[in-house]
Amino acid sequence: MSLKTLSEFNWSVMTPEFIILGVIALLTLLDLFLPKRVDRRILGWLSIAGIVAAIIALASLLGTEPTSILYDTFTLDMFGKAFKLLLLAGAGLVMFLAVSYDAKDGMEEYRGEFYYLFLTALLGAMFMTSSGDLITLFIGLELLSISSYVLAGIKKHNLQSNESAMKYVINGGISTAITLFGMSYVYGLTGSTNLAEIANKLSAVVDGQQAYLLGIAFLLIFVGLSFKLASAPFHMWAPDVYQGAPTPVTAFLSVVSKTAGFVIVIRILISVFYNAAPSGDGSSILFKMHDYLAFLAAATMIIGNVVALKQTNIKRMFAYSSIAHAGYLLVALTTLSANLIFSVWFYLLAYMLMNLGAFAVIQVVTEKTGSAKIADFAGLYRRSPVLAVTMGILLVSLAGFPGTAGFIGKLNIFVGAFYGEPHYVLASIMIAATVVSYFYYFGVMTQMFFRPARDESKFNLPFGIIVVLIVAVVGSVLFGVAPNIALDFLNKL
Amino acid sequence: MMENAWLIPLFPLLSFLILLLFGKRLKEASAYVGILLTLASLVFSILVLFERFSEPTYITKFNWLTIGDLHLTAGFEVNQLNALMLFIVSLVSFLVHTYSKGYMNGDERFPVFYAYLGLFTFAMLGLVISPNLLQTYIFWELVGVGSFLLIGFYYYKEEAKAAAKKAFIMTRIGDVGLFIGMILLFWETKSFEYSAIFAAVDAGAISGTMITLTAILIFIGAVGKSGQFPLHTWLPDAMEGPTPVSALIHAATMVAAGVYLVAALFPLFAASKTALLTIAVIGAFTAIFAASIGLVQTDIKRVLAYSTVSQLGYMMLALGSAGYVAGVFHLMTHAFFKALLFLAAGSVIHAVHTQNIEEMGGLWKKLKFTGPLFLIGTLAISGVPLFSGFFSKDEILIAAWEGGHPILFLLALIAAFMTAFYMFRLFFMVFTGEARGDQKHVHESPNNMTYPMILLGVLAVIAGYVNTPWFGSFLGDWLVDGNPALGHGHIEGPIWIMIAATVVSLAGIYFAYMMYYKRSIARNTISGTGDTLHTILLNKYYVDEFYQLTVVAFTKGLSYFLRFIDVFLVEGLVKGVVGIVQGLGRTGSKMQTGQVQTYGAVAFIGLALLAVIFALTGGYLR
Repeated sequence: MSLKTLSEFNWSVMTPEFIILGVIALLTLLDLFLPKRVDRRILGWLSIAGIVAAIIALASLLGTEPTSILYDTFTLDMFGKAFKLLLLAGAGLVMFLAVSYDAKDGMEEYRGEFYYLFLTALLGAMFMTSSGDLITLFIGLELLSISSYVLAGIKKHNLQSNESAMKYVINGGISTAITLFGMSYVYGLTGSTNLAEIANKLSAVVDGQQAYLLGIAFLLIFVGLSFKLASAPFHMWAPDVYQGAPTPVTAFLSVVSKTAGFVIVIRILISVFYNAAPSGDGSSILFKMHDYLAFLAAATMIIGNVVALKQTNIKRMFAYSSIAHAGYLLVALTTLSANLIFSVWFYLLAYMLMNLGAFAVIQVVTEKTGSAKIADFAGLYRRSPVLAVTMGILLVSLAGFPGTAGFIGKLNIFVGAFYGEPHYVLASIMIAATVVSYFYYFGVMTQMFFRPARDESKFNLPFGIIVVLIVAVVGSVLFGVAPNIALDFLNKL
Repeated sequence: MMENAWLIPLFPLLSFLILLLFGKRLKEASAYVGILLTLASLVFSILVLFERFSEPTYITKFNWLTIGDLHLTAGFEVNQLNALMLFIVSLVSFLVHTYSKGYMNGDERFPVFYAYLGLFTFAMLGLVISPNLLQTYIFWELVGVGSFLLIGFYYYKEEAKAAAKKAFIMTRIGDVGLFIGMILLFWETKSFEYSAIFAAVDAGAISGTMITLTAILIFIGAVGKSGQFPLHTWLPDAMEGPTPVSALIHAATMVAAGVYLVAALFPLFAASKTALLTIAVIGAFTAIFAASIGLVQTDIKRVLAYSTVSQLGYMMLALGSAGYVAGVFHLMTHAFFKALLFLAAGSVIHAVHTQNIEEMGGLWKKLKFTGPLFLIGTLAISGVPLFSGFFSKDEILIAAWEGGHPILFLLALIAAFMTAFYMFRLFFMVFTGEARGDQKHVHESPNNMTYPMILLGVLAVIAGYVNTPWFGSFLGDWLVDGNPALGHGHIEGPIWIMIAATVVSLAGIYFAYMMYYKRSIARNTISGTGDTLHTILLNKYYVDEFYQLTVVAFTKGLSYFLRFIDVFLVEGLVKGVVGIVQGLGRTGSKMQTGQVQTYGAVAFIGLALLAVIFALTGGYLR
């Protein structure tokens, strides 16, 4: 590749990524050269500024036609734009949590890292939304994962945090191995790493043997990636890691990292397996494999919701709840309805708002009480009506009650399950699982509103937390009352 | 102004949210938040009402939800009925907010009370500007929630708790009918919008049987909310709530919602003779049935509650006799004089701390404002000429006669006699004669309680003049303008009906006067305490007991039988399901050993299982 061709690429489509990369470089240098006594929180605010700048850059790119550069390894299409926006917004909100986070347990001196590691993780996720090649997809995935491993263990003198990072890295290693193994089959069958080319080659495949191998590859890749989704069978790390990691990191893992996971799954499912029509009867491998997906979706919903019932630690409960939400999202993937992209995107949007809002409340309460027991939410309404009512709205949205974004998200997926071939069993399991989820969400409600408080001390809400809570509540209600705003936005892309 | 009508419900919602979040800090100042915000609603409502006089109906909607090819819309509509309802609801709500400042003073949960009032007012205002059935249904349920919270406000009183539950369940029974009717209509017309439904009815796109069926199902919803026979028993019990709540919910708003629903869907009902006849019969029966119970009650609020049930029956009778204008007209006048009566009753209770009229008496001199105001309300509801109730009741009687229901007309006339009698019985027993209880500390209520009553008193007198046979039927002509399906603005009737109505109402007053003031007719002339008739009436025709003996007993008997199956089969099944869920949860938690090896192993085993199934099935499951 000569310098000339390199300079001829339309680099402007990568502006958001460049901005994040620039901020990362800047923050690293600042962290190195700033005197020790300077509060590193300033780096956090700089990262927020960087994310906002990237969102603005992305907004200015919204009108552009789908463009791909670097020999189709980087494409900015409707899918990329929509999900990149979601990732940036989620990471921005997580950053607000991070600047409000009270550093303890040996984290003080690494506070600078705490901020720019979020950005490197975000950068990885952003590349995943736009990559058109297995290699760049994988690089993005690893950039995200490795940054997350460090983040989980950033409280260096805290045993739980260390344990959490250790478990995360080991499980992550296993998942990476499985994913790569699966990808190697795809490469072996097609001789290419480029998604478009793979799809092209596979659409011609009719050989039963090759189809068989492709099926194996599908299972391997999907199970490997289910680590990122925190869905069955690769869900067990989530509760331990969520519990031990600092709350902003937990929020990041449960929202941004999960979103990135769905991005890569959809990319590969749609690009590689959707077009592969092995037997010649026109139905793709994806359709033939959807019983496996349905099974895993059902298992994920059941495990997440049922085990959440038994939790006494709020962060563990939210870990299981996040597993459950991954299950609902898998239902959308299984049914492959016409509005698949929209229902997944909308659900992730709603999930980002309500989950990050809930984590903001959790962060405030756990910092105040020093423990993360659900029982510590007792009497929250008496201590801080604002926090309790906010949390109430978010829990109602998580449970999926009408009038909230959570309800519309579930409704989209539910209706999608009856597109084409109806999935009665899966839809009923989804309903039943949702009903089970009422019990644990309303368990927290009962604590907040009907149990006496142990002490009457009030809460001070840091600025960052207030921002997150306002965005979360307004968004959850707005998209619940007027979901068409989101639909219109996506249709315009 | 009309394009901003959507703001009207939002003010009370804002009040609800503010008080929910900051009520504890605001304490007594909560009242001002509620009062100011409902005042804003009232001002907007008045502006909207006046604009609607000169301009056409305003309707706006947007796509609320699109799933596939299913489009659901939301929006709001300001037609004549809606504009009038906005005015009535926001006015009464504002006055009740003001009044409660005095009445609820000192209550520990004062801010919570105002928060609930805000929620209820929001739901009710939202209900009356909904342009489609779905939105109506959502607010309809929200109104139910608001009333549940308000009736059960004194939740430490067992009766209040039971009454709140009863109100919620009884109205829910009706709501099931409404829901099914709504879904059937959607099925038929592929739309929830009123305009689309009316268009389909007009075009004959719905079969006659279907129209009758859906209309009656929807009417069942109205029966529940408006306390019509046989779902009326919750309303008297709901008197356990604070008295201002009774004025708001049980006079002007929630109970009127049923009448409003029938009026809003009138073109649908008008297309089915059977449905109209059903409404008329139920309405007339409820009117006389509840009035007769009102004759012997001794609790001041219960008498008013039964009179409300009876008056709502009148409105239904009017609508069922194709007297759209008469029904809506009476809805309006009744809202004013009944809210006045409830607030005045609250003022009396506030003064003497009892609700039993046997322990009152001789309060006329002590309550300088409340007494005359209560008398105005009593004159209005009794249908004494020149007061508002006279004109609207007259319209209803004419509608019933001209609609070809002479028997129902007669029932309504007898009910009018009873109404005059029991209302004046109430008046004489409370305000005249000797004091029968301890009245040393009796004093008139504070200004913020009397002023709302005075305003309502004025309205109770003059509200009738917007639609009279003498000065023109302004209200009626305006209500039906541009909508022939609603019938005529004024129905001409023979003059003797008006004379008859006047005579029966004066006769009722005369008998009450002789019996309870002069005492020249003994109280037990017709039926004394302990007589069969008296006992039957005192026990409200044993409807509650009837339900207890039939519905409840049948259910109980059935339940004993079913319990047998239940214990062994259903309970086992339920226990099994719960057990399985709990067990799964426990197993799941137990599997979470904290051993990272286990986690990796689970992933591997999962993958291996999938791969084995894949291999065994030769690639695909099917």
